[in-house]
Amino acid sequence: MASRVLGTALFRSGFTVQDAPKYGAERRGAPIFSTVRAARGTAINERGVIHNPDLVVVADDTLLTVPAAGILQGLEQGAVVLVNSRESAETWQHRLNLDVQLVILPAAAEVEDRAELPHIGATCAGAAASLLGVIAPDVLAAAIGEELAGLGELVVEQNRRNALAAYRAVQDKKGLVREGKAVAAGDYTPPAWVELSVDDVGIAAPDVRAVANSVQVRTGLWRTLRPTIDYDHCVNCWWVCSSLCPDSAIRVENNTPIIDYDHCKGCMICVGVCPPHAIQGEPEYLAQQREAQSADTGAGDNNGTDTADG
Amino acid sequence: MEPILLTGNAAAAWGARLAGVDYVPAFPITPQTEIIETLGAWLDSGAMPGRMVTLESEHSMLTAAGAAAATGVRVFSATSSQGLLHAMEMLYTVAGWRAPFVLVNVSRGLSAPITLEADHNDVLAARDSGFLQIHCTDCQEVVDSVLLAYRLAEDTAVRLPVMVNLDGFYLSFTREPVRLPDLAAAREFLPPFDPGSMRFAASAPQSQAVAVLGGSPYSYFRYETHLAARNAISVYQRIAAEFESRFGRERGAVEAYRCDDADIVFFMIGSFASKAREAVDRLREAGRRVGLLRPRLLRPYPAEIIASALLGVRGVAVVDQNISMGQGGVLHTELAAALYGRGSAPAILTSFIGGLGGREIAPQEFFEMAEVTFRAVDEGRSPPPRLLYTETELRELRKLQSVALAEREQTSPAGRATP
Amino acid sequence: MSEIISRMKDLPSAHLLGAGTPMCSGCGGLEALHQIYDVLGENTVFVNAAGCMTLLSVYPFTPFRGSWLYTAMASAPAGAQGVRDALDLLIQQGRLPPEEDLQVVVLTGDGSAYGMGMSATSGAMDRGLDFIYICYDNEGYGNTGQQYSSATPHGAATATSGGTGGFPGYKKDLFSIWAAHQPSYVATVIASEPLDLAKKIAKARDMSGPRMIIALSPCPTGWDYDPRESVAIGKLAVKTGVWPLKEYENGTVTHTRIPRERPAVEEYLKTQGRFSHLFRPQRNEALLTEIQQRVDRYWAQAQ
Ligand SMILES: Cc1ncc(C[n+]2csc(CCOP(=O)(O)OP(=O)(O)O)c2C)c(N)n1
Ligand code: SF4
Ligand code: SF4
Ligand code: SF4
Ligand SMILES: [Mg+2]
Repeated sequence: MASRVLGTALFRSGFTVQDAPKYGAERRGAPIFSTVRAARGTAINERGVIHNPDLVVVADDTLLTVPAAGILQGLEQGAVVLVNSRESAETWQHRLNLDVQLVILPAAAEVEDRAELPHIGATCAGAAASLLGVIAPDVLAAAIGEELAGLGELVVEQNRRNALAAYRAVQDKKGLVREGKAVAAGDYTPPAWVELSVDDVGIAAPDVRAVANSVQVRTGLWRTLRPTIDYDHCVNCWWVCSSLCPDSAIRVENNTPIIDYDHCKGCMICVGVCPPHAIQGEPEYLAQQREAQSADTGAGDNNGTDTADG
Repeated sequence: MEPILLTGNAAAAWGARLAGVDYVPAFPITPQTEIIETLGAWLDSGAMPGRMVTLESEHSMLTAAGAAAATGVRVFSATSSQGLLHAMEMLYTVAGWRAPFVLVNVSRGLSAPITLEADHNDVLAARDSGFLQIHCTDCQEVVDSVLLAYRLAEDTAVRLPVMVNLDGFYLSFTREPVRLPDLAAAREFLPPFDPGSMRFAASAPQSQAVAVLGGSPYSYFRYETHLAARNAISVYQRIAAEFESRFGRERGAVEAYRCDDADIVFFMIGSFASKAREAVDRLREAGRRVGLLRPRLLRPYPAEIIASALLGVRGVAVVDQNISMGQGGVLHTELAAALYGRGSAPAILTSFIGGLGGREIAPQEFFEMAEVTFRAVDEGRSPPPRLLYTETELRELRKLQSVALAEREQTSPAGRATP
Repeated sequence: MSEIISRMKDLPSAHLLGAGTPMCSGCGGLEALHQIYDVLGENTVFVNAAGCMTLLSVYPFTPFRGSWLYTAMASAPAGAQGVRDALDLLIQQGRLPPEEDLQVVVLTGDGSAYGMGMSATSGAMDRGLDFIYICYDNEGYGNTGQQYSSATPHGAATATSGGTGGFPGYKKDLFSIWAAHQPSYVATVIASEPLDLAKKIAKARDMSGPRMIIALSPCPTGWDYDPRESVAIGKLAVKTGVWPLKEYENGTVTHTRIPRERPAVEEYLKTQGRFSHLFRPQRNEALLTEIQQRVDRYWAQAQ
């Protein structure tokens, strides 16, 4: 959604634009990616993935540290990374150790409720528009109106407010993003093409002989809400929560349910079905903050936490 | 063994029986039905072990065939025309599974208009599917090719399904003398199927044919299938040589008949190629240096073998019993592509569309195609493609049209009278 | 693998289906599948048709401990036929020890089961194929963005029925169509009733011949509700009588749950965005009444 708002805003500002979502196998709740290209006057012939982006907008900072997400690939010196995060730019600079300009989106909406999630897109687009320095606030507002029209005037207004606040919040860095250059044909690194060998059919067919190795995929990263079992109130009716968790993410040991946070997608079904209400839901970031604090103070917090699984 | 008289369909059924197939998923369609009926009778009487199941469509039939092969048994199936097209999604799918089995296609023209007689548009529609293709000219080749097809499909360097093609009516219902290999010799040539790692069993769980994400793994798996198919040329030549030494019949990837000193050659597949062979003999008697080049193996395409057989040939008359709408003959296009850029290639390729929907090709037409090609060689320019269609045929067709049209006008409520 | 399941405590506590699949958060179909898998176990080969569940196995990952074969949208039951016949032949010929045998299980969505794959399913039942068929019914072509299928209920908004009245057709009675083939077993289940589900799957597991299961699968994405509601919505589907839990065996249909006090169907409809046009901007009284009457008529006939 952010990419469409940005695309429309750039288009309305006189640019040639190309924007596209990138689909994966993942269903709703999984991280999603999209791209926007803009050029002055000329047609955009390039397509698909942007190999060397000038600006990367990260709506969910938990993705930054996941190598598989590949968010920071191809960033060249001077590129800008806009992160929606509660942590400071220094912290991320330190953690990532990259020669890029990090901008934190301080207006980050505290997402307590999933219904709020869609607003993040407009908020990010607002800040990005500011950093690009070529989109006027009224054009941004109009673009949001155009893209979200189907959701009703209330939603449009809410998003406009958030986006413009974000726009202002990073105003001191207006125009930070510079226009990238096309890949030069005069001096390029040739692709290292290989001859494929005729592999044995045992490996050359799309067959998987490993079993249940899907656990290597950490769908826990999808989670924006975290369920936590309060074992003081749990009455060990494991057949309720562990049967009803769609993702086989509650295992049972000695009649005790244990949540597998590597894979819990945070649907909150278990919270709703637990008869004595022994499972609490809270925003994932709060849970992480709590964890970080207890790690600092050295106090173990093992309540239903199991991050070593799988 | 002494030759006996067999139809092409019976020869195909014998091929399956001698191959010791375990499983036959089936569905009836003219002119193939006799094959499954023959196998069904043998299975019912116990003359042959195994199991046959009639599915509710060819799409299902191919799914069951691929699934059974992927589970580890030897599978045979047969279809034709609309049936092959109805199964098209599964042709690509089971080839992608790398499930080795044999499918006999009895070529028949595609609808519309619906017809029953021979035409190669059905089998050529499957040319990009990953199925390998062996094309037969007589009933003997049918039984031989089924055995060769199993060896090829199951070879560990190939592992792909193979289609054996024979023409409806001209082979399917035509009896010719056929020497059946005896069972022991056939078994020696074709040992039992070893599925290797491809099978389903409790102690060896596996997920077959899973989805991929992104163009990179997809490119790898698809190209591996292509490489396996390319591998099949040399594998086929090796198997055919072994076949020849056992059974005394030459079954190479390409038949080159009197091509050695030929100025021009006919290039075609299927049962009408024997008509071309006959025409070559007559033309030779008339002092014309003409030959016939006939790929038995059409997938993989034996380009190198074809190119070297054409060394010294000046013109090729390509006879296509098929038509790619808006482009022309498929064999012509593919031959041009295979020869382009080779300095030694014949300068002239002439294109003839003939035999659509089983239309006869007369000896005189072969002679004339040769003459047209000789002329083109002399002039150094290929003529436009030609449909083999005579004045008489057109006159007859016009009569049919007037009947069809008159019928409509007589019954029209406006009551317009026609003279 | 054939322990008796009669109380909640008997439900399997070991979950066999691997986590980490790309299904939506809160997917009612995955919820049903993992419960089913716990009962059927790993000596199974799942034969799948195109749909959301096709993405369970994306190279190089699989959640299965047993086997899996993806076929195509129209012909998963035919794939099951090929695998079943091949296993029988291998065992007959002594090439596969009987303990290596597998239960063959078809897994498809409603789009396949109610539509494109119906003739393949009918054929498999005609031939008395020894297999289990699991249809996870999310009432639309979910994988392609929830267009209506012949399982979509009357009035539901989908990507292709967005008009004021929603889907003009009626959900096809697949249970009866399947039962008319007189297979060994037909049952409806839902993941929000895990005991009823497990009993039926265990029963099917221990029978032979065609065993047909339809699992209504609340779908947060396609039905438009918060993922946390999947179980509550499933329970409402049963309570309001929209989704009768029943089984067919030996020519007889038995309801395994008869909702005594059926709350109004609108209690169920209200929970889902796909029916919101029945309530806003104003109540569509005519349509709500019609939907209620159809449910009432069903139960009047059932008793
Ligand atoms: C022959 C064919 N046509 C169309 C498709 C595209 N397609 C993939 S999944 C799907 C929807 C299947 O619906 P359903 O069976 O209900 O499963 P769901 O997606 O809801 O899980 C469609 C139409 C296909 N894969 N094959
Ligand atoms: S449902 Fe609640 S009380 Fe029951 S085992 Fe699970 S967490 Fe404990
Ligand atoms: S929130 Fe609860 S039910 Fe949902 S995935 Fe996590 S553990 Fe399972
Ligand atoms: S669209 Fe529906 S059925 Fe498909 S994965 Fe998502 S929740 Fe499950
Ligand atoms: Mg569906």
